[in-house]
Amino acid sequence: MSEGMIIFGAWIAAALTLFLFSFLYKDNPFFKIAEHLFIGAGMGWYFQTIFYKIMIPKIWEPLHSGDPFKIFMVVIPALLGLSLITQFIPKISWISRYGFTFMMGYSAGMAIPVGLATDFMNQILGTIEPFANFFALSGWQMFNALAIAIGTICVLFYFFFSVEHKGAGKKVSNLGIYFLMIYFGASFGNTVMARFSLLYGRFDTLVNYSSAKYFYATSWILVGLTLYFVAEKLITSAKRETAE
Amino acid sequence: MKNTLIFLTAFLTFSSYSSFAASQNKVKPAAISQIELKNFEALDFPYDKGESGLLVWEHTPELEGAQFSVLVSTVSDKEGWIEAVKFSAGENTADKINLPFWSFNKNKNKYAVALEFNNILSSQVKEELNYFAKVKIIKGKNISETKVLSSKIKGNWFRADRLNNLIVFLVVTLVFFIVVSHAKKKGLFIRRIAGLDAIDEAIGRATEMGKPIFYVPGIGVMSQISTIASTFVLGEVAKKVAQYDSYIKVPHYDPIVMTVSKEIVKQAYTEAERPDSYKEDINVFISHDQFSYAANVDGLISREKPAACFYIGYFMAESLLLAEVGASIGAIQIAGTDVDHQLPFFFTACDYTLIGEELYAAGAYLSKEPMLVSALKVQDFGKLVFMISVAVFSLLLIIGAKMEWKGLAGILTEILKVY
Repeated sequence: MSEGMIIFGAWIAAALTLFLFSFLYKDNPFFKIAEHLFIGAGMGWYFQTIFYKIMIPKIWEPLHSGDPFKIFMVVIPALLGLSLITQFIPKISWISRYGFTFMMGYSAGMAIPVGLATDFMNQILGTIEPFANFFALSGWQMFNALAIAIGTICVLFYFFFSVEHKGAGKKVSNLGIYFLMIYFGASFGNTVMARFSLLYGRFDTLVNYSSAKYFYATSWILVGLTLYFVAEKLITSAKRETAE
Repeated sequence: MKNTLIFLTAFLTFSSYSSFAASQNKVKPAAISQIELKNFEALDFPYDKGESGLLVWEHTPELEGAQFSVLVSTVSDKEGWIEAVKFSAGENTADKINLPFWSFNKNKNKYAVALEFNNILSSQVKEELNYFAKVKIIKGKNISETKVLSSKIKGNWFRADRLNNLIVFLVVTLVFFIVVSHAKKKGLFIRRIAGLDAIDEAIGRATEMGKPIFYVPGIGVMSQISTIASTFVLGEVAKKVAQYDSYIKVPHYDPIVMTVSKEIVKQAYTEAERPDSYKEDINVFISHDQFSYAANVDGLISREKPAACFYIGYFMAESLLLAEVGASIGAIQIAGTDVDHQLPFFFTACDYTLIGEELYAAGAYLSKEPMLVSALKVQDFGKLVFMISVAVFSLLLIIGAKMEWKGLAGILTEILKVY
């Protein structure tokens, strides 16, 4: 890539980043530009991915392979997929129900055995497994095993909707909430740290683009945005005063 | 001349001695004898996709201390031998095979070697395959070989090893039908869920303020349970919006979810006897890119300033981006997701948050539909079984560990394990 294109790319990247950050102040035309560009680029990317990674290799090529088995295996799913497009034609939109029904049934069929296996049976096994060698465990491991088993039961009871949570049930349910909150707190801290690292990454890029090598891209765009907001504020205030 | 003769004599003497010594030192290859292993069989590995074979034979006293080398060939019984596995006596017994006790005889006195041809051939086995196998037994200096056996590997239609999963599924289905018939005769009790009671309040507030309601179903696809649950809630919210003659906007990430949601909202308006109020632009497609979707929904929220925002479905990193903007414009916000690591963000930015199971319960709670309520009851049944199982099995295992009941942990593990 030529040096000029790299500098141009840096200006675009810095501008789009700052335009999106400008939403922290308030909605503005620069944010709208970045927002719509983002949607367009996202959809363009998604379309070409679907076209080149799915439609060409999974539908077009098997249909033109000349192998009757391959053609047969593609025709039915392709027709079911095409049936979804009939949504755009109200008179025959009922055809789309075949595609949707198939998808719903297929998804449920896939999800139910996997859900039963992983969320139910494996979960019970994972919870009780440490107790098989309970007396060979260290004190801390014993506490851990008990905390997991008790925590699991209490949290599940919190999500048990068939009885009113009162009396002893209320205490079990409250204990479940404590377990949940401890987990959510840890999860929150963990995610926030990850987000900060993303933010530092962005700031690092902006600082990098504010160097002489990139003709002070970040600084100039930042100055431009600030001037716009100041001017916009002054004009709005002036208009308000005139109106009053 | 004399010197030359001496040199030649010495050279010839040395050469002949070297040849003699070399012939004496040459190691004769050990003779490989034939051996008969008791009940030696080559089989197709039971209950698999058709990628493995199985060699079995019984342990006998003369095999003590031996080493086994299992050789397989997919070419012929004469060539193309590959060493599949090498092990010592006492290893690779039948109890090590990863199948439960009800589908495989786990005799510890029997050797069972699973021949995973995907690994052995370093390529994917795609169709039925004939293989040849023999076992080389090395015991000290003695090496013996079995006769060559052959078998065919093929996929199995029925996975008996997953029988436990099938039984649980059948029990759950049976309970579901019993509960449905019970629910149709007389209603079933569901405890109060605060977040869902607030839905009426949020829609009422939006109606009074004359502002729209935003319902964001997240970035899930139609196969995700949270998205399915979200469409149920959307139906109920849309019905109330239609009754109050308020306005709802549903921005979408996935085109299929949008199409399903369109049908649901249209149905809700019809059920509320307001089909004329239904508009095609209630459901709008935004983008199938996570952050451009979030950016646009943020933009819409900040421009249209809805009085109530619902974030119900599957959410990832955009959860806080959306909820923050909703909070900044002072909208009443109700969120619900089963993505546990996004829930803390909704807790911080929303007024009410439905946690995981509460979201699944929402559709039933709001509609009181016998079918949905029954589904909720079946979930509760599952939770009850789970709680009792954990409590009882944990106690049993602790008692078993104290009393040294060998085998109890193994049986429980195999019953609960997913193969």
